[in-house]
Amino acid sequence: MSLRRDGRLGAAWIVILIVLPFVTAIIALGIGRMSIAPGEVFDVLRAALSGGHASSELIEKTVMQLRLPRIILAMLVGAGLSVSGCAFQSLFANPLATPDTLGVASGAAFGAALGILLGFNLIGIQLTGLAMGGAAVALTWLAGSGKDRGGLSYIVLSGIMIGSLFSALISFVKFVADAESELPAITYWLMGGLDKANYRTLSLGAPVIIAGVILFMLIRWRMNLLPLSDDEAKASGVNVRLLRAVTVVAATAITASCVSMCGQVGWVGLLIPHMCRMLFGNNHLSIVPASVSFGAVFMIIVDTLARSISAAEIPVSILTAIIGAPFFIILMRRSGGWRL
Amino acid sequence: MSEMERKAQALLKIEKGCFAYKGGPQILKDINIELEAGEILAVLGPNGAGKTTLLRCMMDMLHWQSGRSLLDGEDIRSMPASKLWRRMAYVPQARSAAASYTAFQTVLLGRSSRIGAFSAPSEADMKVAERVMERLGIAHLADKPCHAISGGELQMVLIARAMAAEPEILVLDEPESNLDFKNQLIVLDTMSALAAEGVACIFNTHYPAHALQRAGKALMLTKGGESIFGDTTAVVTEDNIRRAFGVNALIGEVETPHNIMKNVVAVGVSEGRAAGNDALQTAGAEGGRKTDDVLASITVIMHSNEHAALINNAFREYNHLLIGRMGLPHRRSEKYIITVMLEGPVADIEALSHRLGLIPDISVKTTYEQEGYIHG
Repeated sequence: MSLRRDGRLGAAWIVILIVLPFVTAIIALGIGRMSIAPGEVFDVLRAALSGGHASSELIEKTVMQLRLPRIILAMLVGAGLSVSGCAFQSLFANPLATPDTLGVASGAAFGAALGILLGFNLIGIQLTGLAMGGAAVALTWLAGSGKDRGGLSYIVLSGIMIGSLFSALISFVKFVADAESELPAITYWLMGGLDKANYRTLSLGAPVIIAGVILFMLIRWRMNLLPLSDDEAKASGVNVRLLRAVTVVAATAITASCVSMCGQVGWVGLLIPHMCRMLFGNNHLSIVPASVSFGAVFMIIVDTLARSISAAEIPVSILTAIIGAPFFIILMRRSGGWRL
Repeated sequence: MSEMERKAQALLKIEKGCFAYKGGPQILKDINIELEAGEILAVLGPNGAGKTTLLRCMMDMLHWQSGRSLLDGEDIRSMPASKLWRRMAYVPQARSAAASYTAFQTVLLGRSSRIGAFSAPSEADMKVAERVMERLGIAHLADKPCHAISGGELQMVLIARAMAAEPEILVLDEPESNLDFKNQLIVLDTMSALAAEGVACIFNTHYPAHALQRAGKALMLTKGGESIFGDTTAVVTEDNIRRAFGVNALIGEVETPHNIMKNVVAVGVSEGRAAGNDALQTAGAEGGRKTDDVLASITVIMHSNEHAALINNAFREYNHLLIGRMGLPHRRSEKYIITVMLEGPVADIEALSHRLGLIPDISVKTTYEQEGYIHG
């Protein structure tokens, strides 16, 4: 069960990476305050696919209306944040790069907070989140790139600056928010949670994430050129500027969509790609699909725990760190880490 | 372009290349070079003279202020990247190579210009990568990650990556810097062997001796933006080394059982005369050109048939000097001994001798008549 010489995944891994998220999802669909056996979940799904109805209306409603959209959102967010984290790390040849490196997540979070402050509904919050995420990247790009200044370190630096600018703006929004109603809503929202999931929010955010993930899957071999130095990349004969631009746009769109649907979910974009690099090395032929699959699985597990270990919903960012950090450290110590 | 015109074009040419960084002094002034298939060009100069800048301008990673680089007569600047980088390949300095894939995956990246944006390397691409690694003797490194191999091994992997593009021109940025004695030799031998197979090589080097031992052509740069291009023996002279590097050096010869190698020994820092005072000159232009006709003989022992064509081409080019030729195939060992008798100007005979000395895996020695030749 190892990689092929060129960095491609072996058949066993391909099967695992495809099957694992779906198995996890079916199990997770049965977990919650009302416990449903995987067999019944399966029946409900099959009935829904064939257009019919399951035997129990209550079970059908729980699975199809409450849990399924949430689990789809978890899969999308996990896969999306992981793959864009992976792309940002390679783009900046820096293991600490995360989806927030260009200020995307802070921008999107600010947009959402602003939406809450202005009393928008969920769709409105999602839209302002997306818009501000895009605006943050545009600002970073304007500040950090330009003729003869080049170099990715400028972009990273201005990303950090723009990120802190938007963090300050978030604080400002909190400061002016009504302490009774809006402030708790904003704070809770910023901690991240998938409880707002329904098919309407999904229909707005999912296409962007899916399109981005598919794009990264398609160009994954070429992504191997991302960490190379400028001259080496140019000498590959590939249009590296275009490759980098496509990577930035896709990763940004994915991140902004995720943040606008479920708030800031930290860690996933750092943790999962690192885990994949420890397992498979740096070749994007394997780590892109692995990040997508493991990201989805990780997020389903974390979100299922968030909604089921206590009566009250636990913000998902807290759990990603509590579960992720020890797991990451164990993996790092056992594998001896990795290098970019 | 007709076939005749194409023949008349050098494979690679720089015409009147000038470059200065924004707000800085003119680093490169009026650079002119020409390079044919199978030739090696050494670029020499002190730190800061613009050796790497020259390579980057030539490859259009920086843009010439004026002047241009031509590949088969076509301006490199207007060539599509994918077309250019199938014919030319770049080997960066090993320490600046960052990404950490396995050696085999790194070599595969050399195929990039031949692989579509949405595809991965095919079986054929992998065969090429395997063959190149085999050819360079690094097949055993294939599955090791690049951060876990030595500097010399990494340099060979980077050369293999460049060769995986199946280029006609190989551009190497200080390929033997930071390497130990043995690895320097391996890298230089590899370059000589690739040139013998017809690949044109351009390399930056800090070692004038490596230019003399490996390169048929040399370009020497000074800090003042001066440059001189020509046959290595005419460019890499004691005078020019003093002018460009500010070092008093002696060029000597070391005789080994199978050939005579030039070597450069730095004697001391040259005081007083500023580098700009007197211009770089080719050996022939100084008036001390060795024009006296002498008799000489060159004996070549070929250890295999591999480079017979290169040797014959060299003799054909200097046909006017030949007064006799003897070839003896030694059937039992499959080796071949050639002796040619020559008459002509010392400088020409030296040039032929130097050219033969660059061909790998053969033994060459030149003997001059007693009176005519005074070394130096």
